[in-house]
Amino acid sequence: MKIKRYPFLIFTLFICTLLFGCWSKKELRDLALIIAVGIDKKDGKYISTFQVVNPGNVAGATQRGGGSTGLPVALYTSTGDTLVEASRKASKQISRIPYYAHTNLVVVGEELAKEGIQQIFDVVERNPQFRPTANIVIARRQTAKQLLSVLTPVDKIPANQMIKTLELTEMMWGENVGTRLREVIESFSLAGKEVIMSSFHVDGNRKHSDDQENVRTMEPTARLRASELAIFKRGKLVGWIGKEEARGVLWILDKIKQTAVTVDWKGEKEALSYKVVRAKTKVTAQLRNGKPIIFVTVETEGDIGETFVAIDFTDPKQIVALEKVMQQEIKAEIEKAVHVAQKKKSDIFGFGEVVHRTYPKEWKKMKKTWDDKYFPKLDIQVKVESFIRRTGLRTRSYIQ
Amino acid sequence: MWLRLRNQNKQQAYQYDKVAQEGIYGTIERDLHANIEKVRNITGNSADIVIRHFLLGKEDNLLSALCFVSGMVDENMVQQLFIEASVQLSFPSMCCDQLDYIEKKIATANTTRRVKQWNDVFSLLMSGESILFIHGMQEAISIAVKGGEYRAITEPSTQLSIRGPREGFTESLATNVAMVRRRIQHPHVWVEAITVGEVTHTNVRIMYIKGIADDSIVEEVRNRLQRICMDGVLESGYIEQLIEDETFTTFPTIYHTERPDSVAANLLEGRVAIFVEGTPFVLIAPAVFIQFFQAVEDYYARFDIATALRFLRILVFFISLVAPSLYIAATTFHQEMIPTSLVIAIAAQRESVPFPAFVEAVIMEVTFEILREAGVRLPRTVGQAVSIVGALVIGQAAVEAGFVSSVMVIVVSITAIASFATPSFAIAVSARLIRFLLMVLAALFGFYGILIGLIWMTIHLCSLRSFGVPYMTPLAPLIPTNLRDTFVRFPLWALTDRPHGIAEETNIVRQGDEQRPKPNQEMRREGDEN
Repeated sequence: MKIKRYPFLIFTLFICTLLFGCWSKKELRDLALIIAVGIDKKDGKYISTFQVVNPGNVAGATQRGGGSTGLPVALYTSTGDTLVEASRKASKQISRIPYYAHTNLVVVGEELAKEGIQQIFDVVERNPQFRPTANIVIARRQTAKQLLSVLTPVDKIPANQMIKTLELTEMMWGENVGTRLREVIESFSLAGKEVIMSSFHVDGNRKHSDDQENVRTMEPTARLRASELAIFKRGKLVGWIGKEEARGVLWILDKIKQTAVTVDWKGEKEALSYKVVRAKTKVTAQLRNGKPIIFVTVETEGDIGETFVAIDFTDPKQIVALEKVMQQEIKAEIEKAVHVAQKKKSDIFGFGEVVHRTYPKEWKKMKKTWDDKYFPKLDIQVKVESFIRRTGLRTRSYIQ
Repeated sequence: MWLRLRNQNKQQAYQYDKVAQEGIYGTIERDLHANIEKVRNITGNSADIVIRHFLLGKEDNLLSALCFVSGMVDENMVQQLFIEASVQLSFPSMCCDQLDYIEKKIATANTTRRVKQWNDVFSLLMSGESILFIHGMQEAISIAVKGGEYRAITEPSTQLSIRGPREGFTESLATNVAMVRRRIQHPHVWVEAITVGEVTHTNVRIMYIKGIADDSIVEEVRNRLQRICMDGVLESGYIEQLIEDETFTTFPTIYHTERPDSVAANLLEGRVAIFVEGTPFVLIAPAVFIQFFQAVEDYYARFDIATALRFLRILVFFISLVAPSLYIAATTFHQEMIPTSLVIAIAAQRESVPFPAFVEAVIMEVTFEILREAGVRLPRTVGQAVSIVGALVIGQAAVEAGFVSSVMVIVVSITAIASFATPSFAIAVSARLIRFLLMVLAALFGFYGILIGLIWMTIHLCSLRSFGVPYMTPLAPLIPTNLRDTFVRFPLWALTDRPHGIAEETNIVRQGDEQRPKPNQEMRREGDEN
């Protein structure tokens, strides 16, 4: 009798392994792939905007070829006291289950950013679908909805267009930086480091931005463009930083991969471009008389990209002189950035973190008053080492 | 239920042999006519039994008859035999034992034998020998003139190789055995003969190398073969199913091959080969899992290439196992795991497909299985038509009709190609079956289901044995020395030992020391000077 029950027991054990398992099976056809979420606030209520991919109309993905007449994305807006409420309410309009696992972009309207964004990320952390690696951008001078309702010509899905633009410009030019949700959430719980985010705004005429018309013309009337960096302080937007100052921020954050620095040469304004191909920044802290000093050391390596004046690149002295000029230029950028941040009393560079790491005991005393007392008056020593690796294919320009 | 079914059959014991033997007992009589009558009776006067009366010897003094089965004898030799027996043979008067004299005088055939018992007469007659009855003699002479038509030796059709011998086994047992013996010319290659099948009397040969093969395994093979008691054994597949360790498994626990070089290599590793009359497939036991991913060509190619190919084959096995289920699980449970642009592309294609991913996958897989089965059985001339229809139906038309998505077609195609690339058909078939189980698990439980399925499979594989050798050897139990020839094939000079656990342990080293080739130092120095 015992022997007979044995196989049954094993069978039961085998079946038990299947008691766990993945659940909530959902067919691809029943999913609304939300590629971007926009969040605004109006009259105390959150307005969520969902950019949903319409897979059949994404060029290249269509099965039977033919003209994709429809739009690649659809926009849905929903209002609620909380974000979850807004998301659930959206089901009144969308026929498919909202699916956030492919949400790669979160857009926050400028108004909401000024009011404070601290509350909106709890749902992002709580929801298993949401990716902490999604990019977050601020809609400059606009609502998130307005930013999301622009059709783009090359990358058909506007969210992708924004993400890829952001990545590219960070790599090539270095005035913008992609910020992930995770970094934002981390900054809330971390003293001594404030977050910066890139912003986008719609250029040109917004009237037909969400119309197919917008992508029918060679130069779309409404275009998405990366704009200044948003400076946050304790979850609230406190200011903007752009152009050279923005690049200064990225220099300190060691986010510059490539860029081009234009310098003056012998009285000639903006005469020469230096293409940075490699850059490395080190930030260290020291305590002197109980006051922290920050040392920023930047090392760059690059080529001569373009020159409007006659320079003899075969002369090492010239090269050394050039390198000096570049160092000054970069140093100036960095110092401008520091100046702006200190004025806003927002430690976007994470200097507090550096002090924390180097002097953990002393940091405990500084921690509470860091933003108001220490950071605005912080002594920051910038040192730049520029190096010209190559001068391009020419040593002597035809410009004489 | 199974037991009950078996018990019902048990009511009547197997007795064919007893019934059949009843009419045949006894010995040959002196009277030739009575003997001939007996042969006619027992064989039901069959048309293919030739009985030729003639007068034996130059002096025409002995009435005799030669019996043989037409088609099973070498016609030329029989012709020769008649000339010899009736024209050339003469009896010196002083000879006392005429039968003995005749037997010794017949030079046409290689072997002659005197038979007395009727059942010996019939078994020899049916195996293709000629029986010479002589009037007045109580014994007959059996003359081995076996022959007849066999398929010529051709290239094996199931195990092709780019480099390596081109000959494959045929349906002739003697030829097959000889083909292997030609490759291993050593007296320790022992061949044992066993007859299996109460009605068919199929000849079976067990071949092994004495001293290399483990005696206990040989003994086990012999015992299991002797246990077989049934009407007929028509192919080595019968024997495989009757002697394998575990019936309820999809995995083959006995290897079969069509290649003599493969048999030779396996014998040298201490395995036992079982040849069966009438089939080109030779069984090799014991077999381990990893063996089914190895091809003889692995040893003919250089080790780096062989190793790369082995990895490829194992990869290919996994692809053919899990590709459709991964597709199902990823598109119905884990959309987050697919890159965004790909998920959009897949979603676009699935948009027009009316079925859930699982149904879609099952339809396509079944369609493919149908096509494959049709292609295998059909005559070659029709086969082309099937492949065209298949390519159109399974590929283009199904997608264009919005019946399936083109991703699914890609998945099915990869699975199909992968299953063709598996070197052993036996293991490819088992992967085919398990694939469907994994598809169901994937549809119900996602990746977790696939994983559980694979874990079940692993547990099952580890529980299998082949003639006492654990199936997953050398992985579980781990035998580090054997790992030199498992996933990676080490250079030949590094394969110093025969597989542990299979070959005889007391004699395990198979090559001398320092087999690694080295350039002659003096020659190298000369070269430097130049």
